[in-house]
Amino acid sequence: MLDVHKIRKDFDILNNQNNPIIYFDNACMSLKPKQVISAVSDYYVNYPACAGRSSHELGDKVTSKIKEVRDLVAKFINAKKSEEIIFTRNTTESINLIVNSFKFKKGDIILISDKEHNSNLIPWLCLRDRIGVIIKILKSNKDGTFDIDNFKKEIIGARFVSLVHTSNLDGVTIPAKEIIEIAHRHNSLVFLDCAQSIPHKKIDVSELDVDFIAFSGHKMYGPTGTGVLYGKSKLIEDLDSFIVGGETVSNSTYDSYEFLPAPEKFEAGLQDYAGIIGLGEAIHYLNSLNYKDIEDYEYELNYYITSELEKIQQIKIIGPSDAKYRSGIVNFYIENMNMQQMAVMLNDMSHIAVRAGRHCVHAWFNDKNIMNSIRLSFSFYNTKEEAEIFIKSLNKIMKII
Amino acid sequence: MPCIIALIIFSIIGIFSVSHRALAKEAFNCVFKRITFRPCNTGFKEKIKGKLLSKIINRSTFLARLVNKHYEFLSWILFILMVGSTIWVCRGVYNFYVYGSCNGLNQSGFCAFDPSGENNKITNLSDNNTCGITEKSEANLTLENVDLSFFPKKNTESKDDIVFIGCYACDYSRKIYPDIVKLAEKKNINFTFAHYPAKGDTTLLSKVGYCVYKNYPDKYWDFNKYLFTADKDYILNKENMDEIIKKFNFDQSVINSCAFSNETEELIKNSVDELNKTYIYGTPTIFINEKAFVGPKPLRVYKSAINKFIFF
Repeated sequence: MLDVHKIRKDFDILNNQNNPIIYFDNACMSLKPKQVISAVSDYYVNYPACAGRSSHELGDKVTSKIKEVRDLVAKFINAKKSEEIIFTRNTTESINLIVNSFKFKKGDIILISDKEHNSNLIPWLCLRDRIGVIIKILKSNKDGTFDIDNFKKEIIGARFVSLVHTSNLDGVTIPAKEIIEIAHRHNSLVFLDCAQSIPHKKIDVSELDVDFIAFSGHKMYGPTGTGVLYGKSKLIEDLDSFIVGGETVSNSTYDSYEFLPAPEKFEAGLQDYAGIIGLGEAIHYLNSLNYKDIEDYEYELNYYITSELEKIQQIKIIGPSDAKYRSGIVNFYIENMNMQQMAVMLNDMSHIAVRAGRHCVHAWFNDKNIMNSIRLSFSFYNTKEEAEIFIKSLNKIMKII
Repeated sequence: MPCIIALIIFSIIGIFSVSHRALAKEAFNCVFKRITFRPCNTGFKEKIKGKLLSKIINRSTFLARLVNKHYEFLSWILFILMVGSTIWVCRGVYNFYVYGSCNGLNQSGFCAFDPSGENNKITNLSDNNTCGITEKSEANLTLENVDLSFFPKKNTESKDDIVFIGCYACDYSRKIYPDIVKLAEKKNINFTFAHYPAKGDTTLLSKVGYCVYKNYPDKYWDFNKYLFTADKDYILNKENMDEIIKKFNFDQSVINSCAFSNETEELIKNSVDELNKTYIYGTPTIFINEKAFVGPKPLRVYKSAINKFIFF
C-alpha cells in the first residue's frame, strides 16, 4: 500500500502552500523527488569532473558513479550485461540511434502502430525517404487496443517492429510478450518505446526477450536530458556508429580511427553526468516503491475520474472505456471544441496542470479528424482530493459550454 | 478578431512589461497567419479566451456562459470601440498640438496633457475680478465690422495678421504677450495691439498707451512691452506713472495733457466699444488671420496657426 502522504513530502513543489498545484501532466514530465535533486546537486558541488578520462580522484569518482548507474539500469530492467545500456539524451535520441545505425536496406518492411509518438514515426518516415524502407502502419482496434490478429498478418516479411509499449495517447499497453514471440518466429526484431510504461510498470527485458527498448529519465522522476537505449549485446555490437567524436574511439590518426566497443562507441562527447547520476537516484526511488501498488493506485484515480467523466454527455474518452486498460491516462475531448481553452481555464481556476493538444500524435488526430484533446496523466503522488477538485472545476466549466 | 485586439493592446502594454511582450509576439503570429490566409492554430485565441473566462466564471457563471457563447461578437464590439477610441485619442493629441487643448480650439474640458487647463485660462470679462477657466463658445468671435484703426499697429506688409486683445493687469495676457510680440517680429507679421480693460483699473494705462503711440510711435512698442513685463502692482499704481514716463524720456506734459483730454477719453471709450463688437469673452484673445485663440496657448499653437499646420 502506497503511503501517498509520505511520498508527497519528497516533492517540494507539492508542498508549496503559496502556490498549490495539482499536477496531472506526468506523461509529459514527472516531478522530481528531493533525493534526485540532491544527487544532481551533489555532483556539481562535490565532484564536478569528467568520467572515463581523468586520472584524479574526482574523475575516478564520476567514472565509478556512472558505472554504478549503468549497472543499476541494467539490473532495473533485468538486462544481462551493463554494456547493453547506452546513455542518450532521451527516448527520441535512442530511436534515432536505432533508425540511423541499424543496417536497414531498401525494401525492408518496418511495422509501427497508428498511435506512435512523432519520435517513433518521423525518424522512420525520414529513413523511408532516404533509403526506401517500407513503413506499414498497424491499425489499432476501435477501442484503441492492439489488434493482434492484424499484426499476425502484417508481420510476415517484416524485418523490424517498432512499437510504443504504453501509448501516451490513451494509456493502452500492448501485449508486448506475445508480439515479440510472434515477431521472433518471423525473424523480425522488436523495439519497444517504453517512455510511458517504465514509470508505471515493471519492465523485464529478459523475460520479454525484447531486442531493443528505450526510455527517458524525465518521465520516471529523473532529470531532463537523460535517456536509455537498451539492446541485446549482439545487436548493439552490429549497430553502426551514430554520433561520433570524443570518447567513442580508442585511437585515431589523421586518416583513420578505431571505435571503442559499445556502449562507449555510442556515447560521443561529454555526457550529462549529473543527469545520469540523478537518473540512478530516480531508479533507487522507484525501487523503494512497489510497482503493483503504483499500478493499483493509479488505476483507482483513473477509475474515479473516468466514472465522473462518463456522466458528462459531451465528453468522449480516447481509448478503452474501462480505465484498467488505460494505465494512468485519461484523454478526452469534446467534438468541435478546441480543448486548449479548457486547459487554460483549469490552470487559472484551480492550478490544475493538464496537457491540451495532440500530444505529439498528430497523425492519429488527423486520421480521426479530432481537433485536440485534454490528457490527464497520473502519478503515485496524485490524490483523490486532487481528482475531486478537477471534477468540480470541470463541471463548472461545462456549465458555460 | 480577438488576435488583432490582443496585438494592439499587448503591444502597448509590452512597451513596459516583458511578459506582455511575449503575448504580443504570440498575437502577431496569429494575426500574421490570418492575413496570409492561413488558420490561426497557435492556440493563442483559446489561451486568451480561457484566461478571460476563468476570471469571469468565479464571479458569475451566467456571464461566463454569455461571454463564451458570444466571444467573437463581443470581440467585434470591443474592436470597434477600440478603433473609435483610438481615433478619438489621435484627434485629442492633434488638437492638443495645434490648439493647446485635447477638446479643440478654445475648449476647456478636461485634457490629460493639460490637466489644470493652463492653456485655456482667461480673464473673464463677465466678472472683472476673476481669473479662471471659462468654457464658452468661440463661434461668435470675429473681427468683421471691427474698426482696428483705433489701435497701435506694426504694419509689415505681410499677408499674415496678428491682433492681440489683452489687458495690462491680467496675468494670462501678461504671460503670453512677450512671446507673441517676439513671434510677430521673427515672422515679420502685421501686429495690432488692443488693450481691453478686463481687470482692475487700467484706464490710465490705456490712455497713456494711446498717447505714447500718438506722440512717440517709434518708442511705443518698447513702452508697451514694459507695461506687460514690469511689476503689475507698480504699473497699476497711478502715482508711478510720471516716473514711468520719465524713464522713457517722454515729455511729461505732452503725455499728461493728451491722456487727460476729452478726446482721449472718448477714443478709449470708443475703442472698448469697438472691441466689444468682436464678442470677446476673455483676455487674452488673439486673432491670427482672423482665427481666434482664447487664453494663453503654448507658443507652438500660434506657430502652427501661422505655418498653416491646422487642417481642421
